[in-house]
Order: sequence, then C-alpha cells, then structure tokens
Amino acid sequence: MKKNIFNSFILAGVLLASCQKEVTEITPPDRLSSDLAFSTAQKAETSVMGAYNALQSADYLSGRALVYIDLLGNDIYDRTNFFGDLPRFNLLSNAGFAGGLWNAGYISIATANRAIAGLAANPGVVTAAKAKELTAECLFIRAVSSFYLVNFFAHPYNFTAGATHLGIPIVTENFTSNDPAANKPRSTVAQVYTAIISDLTAALADLPAVYGTAASYASKTRATKAAAAALLARVHLYKGDYANAKSVSLNIINGQYGTFALNASPAGAFGPANYETAESIWSIPNSTTDNPNTNNALPQHYFPGGRGDLAISTNFRDIATNPYFAVDDRRRNLIISGTTSATASSFFTNKYPDIATRSDWAPILRYAEVLLTYAEASAQVATGIDVDAVAKLNLVRDRARVGAPQYTIASFATKTDLINAILGERRIELAFEGHRFWDIMRVKGTVTNKFDGDGVTVLPAQAFGANKSILPIPQAEVDKSAGILVQNTGY
Amino acid sequence: MRKSLTLLCFALLSSLVLLAQTRIIKGRVADEKGNPLPGASVQVRGTKTGTTTDAEGNFSIAVPTTAKSLLVSSLNYVNKEFAIGNGNTLAITLKANDASLEEVVVMGYSTVRKTNLTGSVAKVAGTEIENRPNLSFDQALAGKAAGVQVNTSSGLIGAPVNIRVRGASSISSGSQPLIVMDGVPLIQGDNGQLYNPTNALADINPNDIESVEILKDASAASIYGSRASGGVLMITTKKGKAGAPKISYNTYFGYSQPARMMNVLDGPQYTSVINSMRTNAGLTASAANGDYNGDGITDNTDWQDKVYRKGITHDHQIGISGGSERTTYYASLGFNDFENYIIVNRQKRAAARLNLTTKVTNWFEIGIKSQFTRTTLYGLGSGTGAALSGVPFGPLTAYPNVPVYDATGAYYIGNGGNTVAQNTPNPVAVQNLNYDTRDNRRFINSVYGEISLLKGLKLKSQYNTDMQIGFTDQYWDPAVGDGQGLAGVAQTVATDSRVWSWFNTLNYNTRFGDHELGALAGAEYTKSYATFNYIFGLGLNDPLIRIIAPANYGTTGAENGIDVNNGLASYFGGINYGYKGKYLASFNIRSDAYSGFGRTNRWGYFPSGSAAWKISQESFWKSRLITDLKLRASYGITGNSNIGNYPSLATFAPTQYANIASLNLNNPGNSNLRWEQTGQFDVGFDMVIGKGINVVIDYYRKKTKDLILDNPILATVGFPGNTITENIGSIEASGFEIALNVPVINKRDFKWNISFNGATNKTKVISTNAFGNDIFGGQSIVRPGYNMSAFYLIRWAGVNSANGMPTFLDVNGVAKQYDHSAPAANRWTRVSDGAVTTAITAADRVVLNDKTPYPKFFGGLSQSFSYKQIDLSFDMQYSLGAYTFNNTLQNLVLMTGTRNKSVEILKAWTKAGDQTDVPRLFFGENQSTLGSTRFLEKADFVRMRNIQIGYTLPKKLLEKAKIANLRVYAQVQNAFTITGYKGMDPESNANGNVNIGLGIDAFRPYLARTFTFGINLGL
Repeated sequence: MKKNIFNSFILAGVLLASCQKEVTEITPPDRLSSDLAFSTAQKAETSVMGAYNALQSADYLSGRALVYIDLLGNDIYDRTNFFGDLPRFNLLSNAGFAGGLWNAGYISIATANRAIAGLAANPGVVTAAKAKELTAECLFIRAVSSFYLVNFFAHPYNFTAGATHLGIPIVTENFTSNDPAANKPRSTVAQVYTAIISDLTAALADLPAVYGTAASYASKTRATKAAAAALLARVHLYKGDYANAKSVSLNIINGQYGTFALNASPAGAFGPANYETAESIWSIPNSTTDNPNTNNALPQHYFPGGRGDLAISTNFRDIATNPYFAVDDRRRNLIISGTTSATASSFFTNKYPDIATRSDWAPILRYAEVLLTYAEASAQVATGIDVDAVAKLNLVRDRARVGAPQYTIASFATKTDLINAILGERRIELAFEGHRFWDIMRVKGTVTNKFDGDGVTVLPAQAFGANKSILPIPQAEVDKSAGILVQNTGY
Repeated sequence: MRKSLTLLCFALLSSLVLLAQTRIIKGRVADEKGNPLPGASVQVRGTKTGTTTDAEGNFSIAVPTTAKSLLVSSLNYVNKEFAIGNGNTLAITLKANDASLEEVVVMGYSTVRKTNLTGSVAKVAGTEIENRPNLSFDQALAGKAAGVQVNTSSGLIGAPVNIRVRGASSISSGSQPLIVMDGVPLIQGDNGQLYNPTNALADINPNDIESVEILKDASAASIYGSRASGGVLMITTKKGKAGAPKISYNTYFGYSQPARMMNVLDGPQYTSVINSMRTNAGLTASAANGDYNGDGITDNTDWQDKVYRKGITHDHQIGISGGSERTTYYASLGFNDFENYIIVNRQKRAAARLNLTTKVTNWFEIGIKSQFTRTTLYGLGSGTGAALSGVPFGPLTAYPNVPVYDATGAYYIGNGGNTVAQNTPNPVAVQNLNYDTRDNRRFINSVYGEISLLKGLKLKSQYNTDMQIGFTDQYWDPAVGDGQGLAGVAQTVATDSRVWSWFNTLNYNTRFGDHELGALAGAEYTKSYATFNYIFGLGLNDPLIRIIAPANYGTTGAENGIDVNNGLASYFGGINYGYKGKYLASFNIRSDAYSGFGRTNRWGYFPSGSAAWKISQESFWKSRLITDLKLRASYGITGNSNIGNYPSLATFAPTQYANIASLNLNNPGNSNLRWEQTGQFDVGFDMVIGKGINVVIDYYRKKTKDLILDNPILATVGFPGNTITENIGSIEASGFEIALNVPVINKRDFKWNISFNGATNKTKVISTNAFGNDIFGGQSIVRPGYNMSAFYLIRWAGVNSANGMPTFLDVNGVAKQYDHSAPAANRWTRVSDGAVTTAITAADRVVLNDKTPYPKFFGGLSQSFSYKQIDLSFDMQYSLGAYTFNNTLQNLVLMTGTRNKSVEILKAWTKAGDQTDVPRLFFGENQSTLGSTRFLEKADFVRMRNIQIGYTLPKKLLEKAKIANLRVYAQVQNAFTITGYKGMDPESNANGNVNIGLGIDAFRPYLARTFTFGINLGL
C-alpha cells in the first residue's frame, strides 16, 4: 500500500514534469533563430536576398519611391488627391510618405550591413569567392538606398559649393541592440556621395556579370557588374562629375559588363513577359504573391483600370511644354485614356499595365538611361558639339521616331542646345520611372507648369533649392535623436 | 470507504426503527412576512428522513417518536432547527439570509464567503447582464463595478470592448484583464481576419452567466500570477438546483437605430461651400448641382439616410434546470439575431450549454460544463470606419449632390457635376455589393473530478478547453470601390484557435476552536495555439461563381501561418487564516514560467498578502449606525504575460523577393527580457450602515516596473518596426473607489434601490528608457513625469476675427497666423505685428498633462423601483475628465479636397469681426486642420445605458395555467447620452486595445440605440 502511494506520487511527478516541458519548451515552427541565419550556404544566401526584399518594400523601391519623384515633378498630377500635399510641396514633418521612405531605406541598409557582418562572422559557410560576391551585393544595396535617401531628404549635390550642406546619416556598421552609436548626425552630401561611390566601386569589382545566363531572372533582379556601373554612372551624373559619368557609362555601352541593347519598341521593356529583356539592367521584381498590394502597386496608381490616381498632365503631352515630344513619337502609344466615366477625360501611362496581378516590376536601371547618361556626360565634357553624344542620343530617339530624320551635329547650334535635347529626350524616355523631379533639380531647374489634382489648376513654381523641395526628416526620428538629427529648414 | 459503509449501516438501522414507531407531523414553512416557501427541505435531525415543501410551503413527514427536532433549510434563508413538541402541526418561519454576508465569491481556484474576504473584489450579477440587447456580455459591465472601465469603442458589430481594471497597467503590453469562465481561461480579443473586427467574447451567451467577479487588488488577483496585472474577470455559469425541473423562456424583439448623428452638408450647401473655397483661392468653381439620374429633380442625397436603417433584433432563450440530491443540471439553448442600423451589418448567435454535476459517491464528485456556440457576423465588405469604402467614412464624405442610382437603376458611379475628383465610392453600392462574413464555431468545455481524501481535504483535477474554428468569407465586387481595379476579389480565411489547460488542486479547510484555516496548493499548465489558412482569388471570370478555384480567377494564392503559440507552467499555493471570525489573513504565491522568455529568465514569482479586521465584531463596538465594519489591507505582485509569443527570441522569418526566397530579421530579440511586475497596495473597508446600506471604499496605489516596452528606436538601428522589446521604465497609478448600495424604500409593495459606484484613477509615467525618450501613440505621448498618454498637440488659438486666418501658439506661446494666399515664404506671420515668422510645426507641440483619454472620475448609477407588479429600472454610466481627439471632425473640415464636409464649416469666417472657430474658406489651405487642440474635446458624458419597465402578472392568475412566473417588459438600450462632445461618440476609440493612443475618434460608427419588448416566462 505504502509502495503504491509512493509510486503514484512518482508517476504524478513525471506526468507534471512532462506537462511543464510541453508548455514551456516551444520552438517556433515559423521562425528561424537568428544564430542560424548564416549557418549554411543556402541560409547565408537567402539572408542576403533579405536585403533586396527590404528594397522591395511597398513604401520604397517596388514603386512608391519612383512615384514620389515623378509626383514632385510636373509631368503627372494626382487626379484622386491620393497623395495629399506631397505634390504641392506642402508636407508636414510627420508625413507618412516621408516616414515610410526613411524607415524602408534604413531597414534595407541595416539588412545589408547585417548580412555583411553575418557572412564575416561565419567564415567557411560559403567559399571565400562566394562570400566576396555576396558582400558585394550588400554593398550595392547599401549604395542604392543611400542614393535614394540622400536625394529625397537632402538638397542636390550642387546646392552648396563642395556639397557641404546636410545629407543623411551614414550607417555602415551592424547593430544587434539599441546601440547609442546608431544615433548618428547627418553627414554632408559630399560625404554621403563619397560613401556611395566607394561602396559601388567595391561592389563593381566583386559582383558577377551574370547569375547563370544574362537573361536569367536573377541577372535582372540581383546586383550585377552592369547594375553597379549603371548606378555609379548616375551618381556621377547627379554629382556633376561628367568625366566619370562618361567613362563608367561607356564601359557598359562597350559591353565590358555584358551585352545590353534597346528593344525594338519603346514599349518593349514594360508589361508582363517583358521584364527580362536585354534593355533591362536592374529592376525590383514583383510577383503575383509578392507585390505592393492594392494601395501601393504601380499599376494601381498609374493604370486607369486600377485606381488611376496619377494622370499625365498636358505639360507632358503638349509639344509646347515638352518640345522634344513630337506628334509622331512612338512613345505616345504608351499614353492611354481611361475607360470609365471618371477616367475617360484623363490620360495615363501604359508602362505598368498589369493590374490583374499588380506584379509590374519597378524599372530602376535601364539601358536607355545609360545611353542618355553617356550622351549628357559626353556632351558636357566636350568643348564643342560632341559627335558621340549625338550618336548615343540618336540610338534612343531613332527607336521612337522611325520616320523622322536623325540628329546630326548640324541639328544643334550650341552645346547647350544639344544638352537640352538630351535632357528633353531623357524626360520622355524615362518618364514615370522615377527620374523627372531629380533631373530638373540636379541641373538647378525650376518646376513650372505643374498641375493640381484637377489637372487644370496650376501650382506655384518650385525653384531649385526651395525649402520644401526636399522631404522632412520624419519628426519621430528627430524627436528620438534628442537633437542629433537636424530637421530640414521649413518643416 | 470504511466510513461510508458505517454510515450505510446506520441508515439501514434507522429505517428499521422507522418502520417500528412513527408519527406524522404536518406544517407550513413561510418567510418572515408569511409568504410560503416552496421547495424548502425538512429533515429529521440525526436521520436521513426528509421531505420538501410544496408550492404552498406545506409539508408532511413521518418522524420516529424518538426524534427531537426538525432541520429546515431553504436557499437564501438561515437554516433553523425546530424542536418537535407534542403537537402534530408546526408553523415554521425562516429568516432571510443577509445576502451580502452569505454571498460566496469565486477567487481563482477556491471560493470565499464574502464576509471573510480580505481582498478587493466586485461582483456583477447575471441578472444585470441577461436579456439585454448587448452584442457581448462585456458591454454589459459598463458602469457596474467601481474602478472597472468598460469602453465600447464603436457601434460596429464586433468592435473591440476595452476593459481596464484600475487604469492601464502597462505601456506596450496588454492591459486587458484575464477572463476565466468556470476555470477555463478564455480566448479574448479581436478575432477579425480581414476588414471587420470580431469580439471573441460575443461567443458567450450572456444568459448563461450566473455572476461575474472582478478581482481587482493584488491579493485577489495574484493567484493568477503572471496574467493578473490587468485584473481578473471570473465568470461563473448557471447551475441547476435540486428539485423539480424549472423551465424558463425569455425573449425580446425590437429594433436599433443610430444613437446620435453627425451632420454633413446637403447637396446645395456642399456645392456652395466647395465653390466658395475654390473662388476664395482664385480657382474655378468645381462643384455643380444637377440631375444625374434623369428623374427631373436636382440630386441631393443624404447618404447617412441611405446607409442606415432600423435594424430588427430578436432573442430567444430556453433554460432547463433541476436535479436530485446527487445530480444537478442546467441546460440552455439561445438564439440571438441583431441587425445593426448599418445596412448589411448583422450578428447571429446560436448557443447551447449543458452544466452537469453528480456526486458519484459521498467522496467523489464529477462535473462537466460545456457550451457550443455558432456566431455569424456579417461585416462591412470593404472596411470599417475610416476606410474609403467604410462606414461612416463613406456616408459622411461622399458627394451629396449625386444620386444613389443612375437612370438605368444601376448604382451611380461618377462625379456628377463635380470637376475636382475625390475617391469615396458610392457608399450604398460598396455595402451591398461587397461582403465580409465571419462564421465562428466555439466549444468551451471543462470537466473535473473532485475527491474528498480526508475531512476538509479535497483533491480536484480539472481539464479545460476553449476551441474556436472560424471561417471568413470576403468578396469585393468588380463593379465598385476596391474591387474595381482588381476585377473582383474573393478571400477566405480559416482559423483554428485552441487553448487547453489542466489544473490540479488540493484544498484543505478546517476549524479548531476559534481558528479557521484554509490552504490551497496546485499546479496548472496552459497552452495556447492558433493558426490560419488564407486563400485569395483576384480577377473573377464569372462574378456569379465565387468559389476560389484557379479556373475562375486570374490569380489565386494561399498562405498559412501561426498567430499564437505559447505556454505557461504554473505552481501556486495559499493560506487563509481566521481567528474568531474577526481577524483574517491570507497569503498566496504563484510561480509562472512562460515559454516566450529565455530559459534563464523564464520563471516569475508573484506573492501577495492581505489582512482584514472585522472591527464591528469587537465587544467594544457599540455603534448602532454602523452595524458591520471590516477593514482590509493588501499588497502583492502581479505580472503581465500579454507580450506576444517569442518576445525574447531573436528570429529571422522567411520572406520573398518576388520569385526569390529570402530571409529577414523578424525580431531583434532580447535574451535578458524578464517579467514585467506590478506591485499593488490596497486599503479599504466594507461597511453596513443601519438597515442594509452597503458601502465599500478602496484606495489603491500600484507601480509597474521593468515594463516590457516596445522601445522606440531610431530607424538607423535598423530593426523591424523601429522597436526593440526591453524591460525599461515604470508607471505608477493610484485611485479611490466607492461602491454604495442603498435600499431607500423597502416596503412590501414598494421598493426603491440605488446602486452607485465611482472611481478615480491617475496614472503617471515614472520613467521610460535610459534616454528618457518619449513614446508616441495616436496624438498622445508617454513622457517621464507626465500623466500616462497625455495628449501632445499644437495649441490652437482660434480664428483671427480681423482676417479669418487660423492662429496657433508656438512652443513659446507666441501667436502665429497662416495665410495660404501669400507666397510660400510669407504665409506665417505673427498675430501681434504681422511680421513674417517661422511656420508652426510639430516642434510646437506641447504636452497637455491634464488632458488624457483616461477619465478622472467614472462609474455608474443604477436605480430600480418596484410597485406591486410593476418594476422599473435605470442604468446609468458616467465618465468625467477624459478628452477625445475628434479626428472625424478634423477630416470633415479639411479644405484640401472635395470630400463632403461637416456642417461646422458653415460657420466659416466671412468678414472682419466674425467670431468663429472655423477659418475663412480657402481651397488648399491645410494648416488650420493640423493636429491641434482645435479638435481636442472634453469627452465627459452621462449615458442612460438601459431603461426597463416591466409588469409581472399576479401569481393567482398564473397558477391556473401552471405558470410559475410571467413578466412582460420593454427596454431601451443606450437611451440617451448627455455630452458636449461633438463627434461620433465620446467613447470612440480608433486604436483598439492599446494603452497609449486611446481617445482618437476616427470615423467610428455611432453606438446603436435599441428598443425592445420582451417576455420572461417560467414554468
């Protein structure tokens, strides 16, 4: 009897202990402990892919960032007032648009830094060569984000002599806790550009030219030598360093990083099945199951069959205000009108037509841009009218204007005329791909003839360097920094 | 076992004796007023012989000649022993129990007589919950218990109900109390999957509830340790009583309407206001009235009128209870159908319950309490509240100068004569064409066995489950609103949530001499798990076929995931000691291990102690005024496990870079994370004044430290959501509570009773993180040294009557005005001298320390009257000192777009000298509508929650029909609210169940006012 009682106590004890273990020792089946994130070659690579995924944020490069750059420009207007005061240069310092960009930008930088640190801390998990390559991808991603952030939140490079005005905080280390070292002041724009150029130069050296084949999905969506070079060319161009912009873009044109070419049609790089052509250098992909959803997708904003928030203004369509956009330009075929009673009287771009799955890719670096960057840089550094610049300009222009005579040196009276023609071509060719406003600002232009949501009311002109031509540093961040982060003037 | 055999022998023996010599005694049992007491038990002392009284209170019993006395007992009456004299008839009178003293209070794993209570516990009777048109029982608790704030955040079905016991006890973690029903920890919170919230507590049938006990102080709640910081709600469901079966049928039916309305511009007003805004800004007029449905009449649509209706509601409840000496049962069937005043919004609930207990032997009892419910919620198809297609956003902002239908009878989808577009879709169309329906099935069950090991020592083992399976079926029509751009969308979400817990307790109670001792030891294991399966289809081929199959959609996809996955292991014990019934003390301790913490910090220990002194039982106590007085004091520590599944674990989660698999940091983790602790001190007294005036007064002070805080960090650190979970900061709260029950008149034919409760609460932030950083939520701030969640806003300084410009105070108190017509650089000027100055910005926000979303004084006042067969009751709830940010109004006076506006805008400044709070109409002017104190309003209110008038048919009339009781009644729920608040409702809360950021009224649907007529029938 005594033994039975004793045994039943033992039994009860065992039962209770097993219960305790069952309820307290829980391993999440849907997560991975962070110690394991770089523990195998496959995990290390997918962790690096996480940095691209951060770029693909709905608030950022999968569409919204491109939309903002065009909305601040004068070729589209916010037909449904979806973006409130953003296109009116009248945001408040707590504006969600600015907060979304800032957060997504720094998350992607941190994700890249985390992957760089993770690869370094787990040597031998991948080969040394592979580690170099993966690290280069991270450097590229860090440079991409720094470039977009510095242009959204700081005035253009040439705002002050030597770009000594405030840029953004430069973050290159990996934080694993709430480290006070992360509270960094804003570096100058010059320092930020130096960091970007250094990251891109390093990436260019170590990145592969292709992943598998030149036309593979990965070759168009992951960083390649061509992608790093194309962005580097743009960075030099924005900086006003035309000599370097010219030499870097020439390397791409010369096929040093792979073969790229314009498609036969100006529409050939857009819409389903056209994302991986030879014209595309680097895009942010979207898919049926991974896209910015109903509120943020490019087609939802741009396509009339979607919400059609963003309509093309007369400023873009009229030859009077867009003098290089001839009536026979084939790129006019990319302009469509709406079909519902609400959209029928407005015009829209057909560059993002995949409203069915909302998976239009965001074109970030396209070969046409490289040609135009080369043309502009080459025209700038030349003393007279540069033949080579005219030739590269023709490559882009001829495709759209099959019937019209080619430009020759004789077409331009001055070097400035040529540069204006290149900038005019750039406006048309790269329209609605996130270039317009910055292309105005980097050459100290003024945004004029910009329309409010009704497409009729003209908004006040926005001059180069005007206070609210750059976005506010998110007020929450300024508050959290306890005085370290300085707000932009006017907010 | 041996003992029971002996008993059996005695019984046999006595029945033998009985056969030999008996006599018949007849009698009648009545109360002090002479009313018969049916069902009273009459037993011969020292024998098993007994009987019960009939409907007239009469009994007849054969007693042995040797018998000396009869024991007479009846529920709610004091048991009494009557000597058997020589006579053969007895007239027996029983004294009513003083209910307040004999009441039993459920305290976690044991019960305590209310008179022996040493902690602070409030009790709400089931009669205050049942038969009322509430969507869930928690709504009925509003104003019922001192210090318990119950906020129904909107009139939308399924809207979250926030319960705060003694204010917020945390910043980032949950402050909702633990809810335990018959020992089962309930799944609570929002079950909503897509666009509509679903209150998990709506699955409980309010008519099954016998009582709700609210454990407020640490000594009462700490037996639930780590889950008790927000207090504990103990729900006890009804059970059967020995006796003949009782059958009840309760029903009500009626209708609902919006309890109040905000007015927006009608067609002509709209056109005129918009065009004034445009022309004042030098723009072309953009609005025009017209006839767009071809009926020959200029269109003028009141969208609120089109989207609201009289919703029909009805409720049916059948209850059967009864039992024998050994077995009791309670079974119920309930059906409730509530149509909201918003078209398409509806909830149907069918519930069945069986509670059964049986004494298998003298030493072994088993029981089961189980319920099955099916709740169907018909939500708004494409969003609630402030969503573009939501209600009330749609009806408040849609163009009023367009029709509902076009000339062909189809929904009108166009801008009418308005040339500046806005994107509010046709509110009637989106409600009727889209849907979001949730079908919930819930099974809550507990089974137990209890063994009496020795005298006073009981071993109980109880296994609990709460299982919920839900299915959400959602559809966006391709014709309108959100579905338009996507060519139609269908989505389904299947959810499966389950909580099991198993507890084993040893309870020991004994008395020796003047000493009374109780002891408890136990172990409990709890595991919670919830998972979902999500399927969507985009781009319908045939809108009539909605089943999500690849053939019928352009795109289909699926995803599954885990929402809840955690467990708790607990060991607890307690001792209660009483000496002479005057000096009472108790001590409890619970230790909990939570799966979500790192192994080293997993265990938390939560002790509490309390003492009470029944001073009125001392011989020196002579007061006749105060007949009963008990002083109480307690201190204890509770925790908060409402902190997510894996807060301490650094994890990566699989993600997608379109077609490329990726892995991203999901939680930075913190292996040092440990329990958040709330230490609470409570002192109070329970008092009875004269004949039955009950007074309970408490003062408490609680301090929560090591807060598990979502510490807001800089984006440059690079963690998801810009937060990391850390143990930092502390908050402190204190308050007074008073509960009064006054039987003002207590005559046989006329009774009047008043119950009043009130509470104060002041919660202060002591510290946040190492830098003393602010934490923001909604329009509120958490800043050390200031009140919890104080509003943080720019100060509005009114409209300059000279020029119609909006004016604000900057952070230094300098008044600045804004002129949108000036060049961008010159828009801001000083009011004093007109000099150009810097803009008012977020840097000009100030902490409004005395303005928080938490009331300073709140509670309820209930009154009941009865005169002969008529009864009347009023239930009032009040709240004073809270503020609400009227974001709805802020949006309805925006001048940057062409959505419809509030009638407030008609007060706009037009000429010098106009005294108004609405600046000059000017299209594009966006500064007057900054988040400022312009929209911060006092949210004081007194709400008549329920008025009920009933008539009980006289017994004599009913007896012939064999009806025990029949009452007919009429009631109004949310009859009226007295408030100066101008928005949707002073209690509106757009941010759900949070601690900071409450008090934002952002297009929350109005509460419903419900009129019903009902019948209570008992057989």
